Amino acid sequence: MTLRSELATLAGRSSYWFLHNFMGGGSSLPGKITTAIDPDVLQEIGKNYEVIIVSGTNGKTLTTALVVQVLKEKYDNIVTNKTGSNMVQGITSTFLEAKRPTKGKKGIAVLEVDEANVKPIVEKIKPKMFILTNIFRDQLDRYGEIYTTYQKILDGIKLAPDAVVLANGDEPIFHSKELPNPQVYYGFSNEPATGDMKAAPNTDGILCPVCQHLLHYHYIVYANLGDYFCPNCGFQRPDLRFKVTDVSERTPKDSKFAIDDNQYEIGVGGTYNIYNALAAYAVGREVGIQPDQIRHAFENNQRLFGRQEEINVEGKDVSIILVKNPVGTNQVIDLLATEPDSFSFVGLLNAEYADGIDTSWIWDGEFERLPDMDIKQFETGGKRYKDITFRLKVAGVPDDKHTIQPDLGQVIEDIKHMPTQKVYILATYTAMMEMRARLMKQGYIKGGK
Amino acid sequence: MTMNIRVAHLYGDLMNTYGDIGNILTLRFYAKQIGVEVTDQIVSLEDDFKADDFDFAVFGGGQDFEQMVVAKDLPNKKDEIIKFIEQNKPLIAVCGGYQMLGKYYVDASGRKLPGISAMNHYTEQQHEHRFIGNIEIQNEATGQKYHGFENHQGITFLGDDEHALGKVLKGYGNNGEDHTEGAVHKNTIGTYFHGPIMARNGNFSKQMMFEALENKYPDYDFTDLKAKVKPESY
Repeated sequence: MTLRSELATLAGRSSYWFLHNFMGGGSSLPGKITTAIDPDVLQEIGKNYEVIIVSGTNGKTLTTALVVQVLKEKYDNIVTNKTGSNMVQGITSTFLEAKRPTKGKKGIAVLEVDEANVKPIVEKIKPKMFILTNIFRDQLDRYGEIYTTYQKILDGIKLAPDAVVLANGDEPIFHSKELPNPQVYYGFSNEPATGDMKAAPNTDGILCPVCQHLLHYHYIVYANLGDYFCPNCGFQRPDLRFKVTDVSERTPKDSKFAIDDNQYEIGVGGTYNIYNALAAYAVGREVGIQPDQIRHAFENNQRLFGRQEEINVEGKDVSIILVKNPVGTNQVIDLLATEPDSFSFVGLLNAEYADGIDTSWIWDGEFERLPDMDIKQFETGGKRYKDITFRLKVAGVPDDKHTIQPDLGQVIEDIKHMPTQKVYILATYTAMMEMRARLMKQGYIKGGK
Repeated sequence: MTMNIRVAHLYGDLMNTYGDIGNILTLRFYAKQIGVEVTDQIVSLEDDFKADDFDFAVFGGGQDFEQMVVAKDLPNKKDEIIKFIEQNKPLIAVCGGYQMLGKYYVDASGRKLPGISAMNHYTEQQHEHRFIGNIEIQNEATGQKYHGFENHQGITFLGDDEHALGKVLKGYGNNGEDHTEGAVHKNTIGTYFHGPIMARNGNFSKQMMFEALENKYPDYDFTDLKAKVKPESY
């Protein structure tokens, strides 16, 4: 290490120590301090680690957590940015707060990296593997189109041509560009590949990257993910090395499925989470971890699901689920459809920078499915409550079951009196954070993240 | 008599990036209140478009790649789209759809692509800058204000025989210079208001819906039905 880097690292570590012990914070400030002293500090620290980068628009946080859980079956002291600080400074902080790896031995780091930050990270650290989850339309005001988002990730991958790219094979865009890297694909293979269907209207990324005709599917898992093929030019899904071979049970709290014919269970609902588990399984198998060890790792996943936790509020079982784009919203609606009991539905919409400042995307969510579910009460709130209120009205939610409550503090009071035991809150990022903070203040959520 | 409105969602599977389908959902919402049925159908790459089969059309915004593919297919549907417009049928064209109804547009990578010249505006490109944010305009004929969200890199200039949908009160509009937003030709509206312009502007939706109905059922007196529709705005 150069003296400058030593100093930078020291300053960063002590600021972390100070913030952590006295301020109760410290997720990106140490990184800011350190990178201000030496922008190359990441390069210096990163040399001591074998790095796996997880990127894509949806599922990064949980995939990262599951990969860590799986790798723990074989390795100790895995460094990861579990607070979700996934840009350069947050990742620098992550390394600074980690225990130094044993001298002469490389540590392992599993990093969730924001799509636009893959390149700046890879400029400093050469990863061994990239895990790509999906590219869905997400916050167009920030990153633009799915193709430009993918290009940002590719610009980083190109700087590490030896790294294995472990990608979702059901996502057509991941098969659209030639790469020098070794590529491995995972995906769903739980239905016979005999159908011929098109994606639902409202789905992005359904043009053949070779001849620009509409893609067809033997079957669709959700959105534009599935066993796709182009009837015009023969472009098709690549061969999958790791496959979901069966899905036997789905509830909001549980999924039972088979990968490569081995049975697994995770304590969380949503088909998208099965993809996340599949990605983690694929990493584990690639590094020689056995199926029964992976099963063991998944059984320990209960506390990983911070974005979908259950909170007891005066006897009500309240789940807060983050929504931020149409595909994610549709997956959550799909999850609610697996709920066997009646429940209440709360939709909270903000449009701050972290939420995405454009609310148009709510029109692409399949809220029309809600009136068919056993929902006893609807409530809409948040700063853009008018938008989400009208959206539900148009979706057919009856006025007499629908209350409007802009004030999130009052939403908590209302939840206590809802007519069902179960309450699902769908919230955009800042609305979720504000709800969590309020619930914490009132003692319904304990501790930090 | 049960009345209906048949909606063509032009390239609805490719040009629907900003919740454009919200316009159709909103039309159905208001139509239901007066017992009018709304059916909709996507008309995409491999489909024929026949003006006589539809009473209302939505042509949304798309990503550059999709828009380029649609631009190649559009000449196949050009004559029927122009026929549809000249029959006074309402059409809402948002963002990319708006650009492609004009004479030409230049996309983000600098390519100049022909439009179908159904309207006389044209679209140039600004460099390294997008117009993003909330927008508010006032329609000078009706005095009504419309709210929305814009996110576009193209800058559009109106042709001689076109007039704007409104005067920009807040935001950028067509080109950030002349304080105009959108273009009107017959009952066709081109606009940069993202997708659900109809969802957020009830008066505008009501007007478009009754234009479609009056055009389709010229002998019917809509006075009573008009009184029944209470437009919502946010």
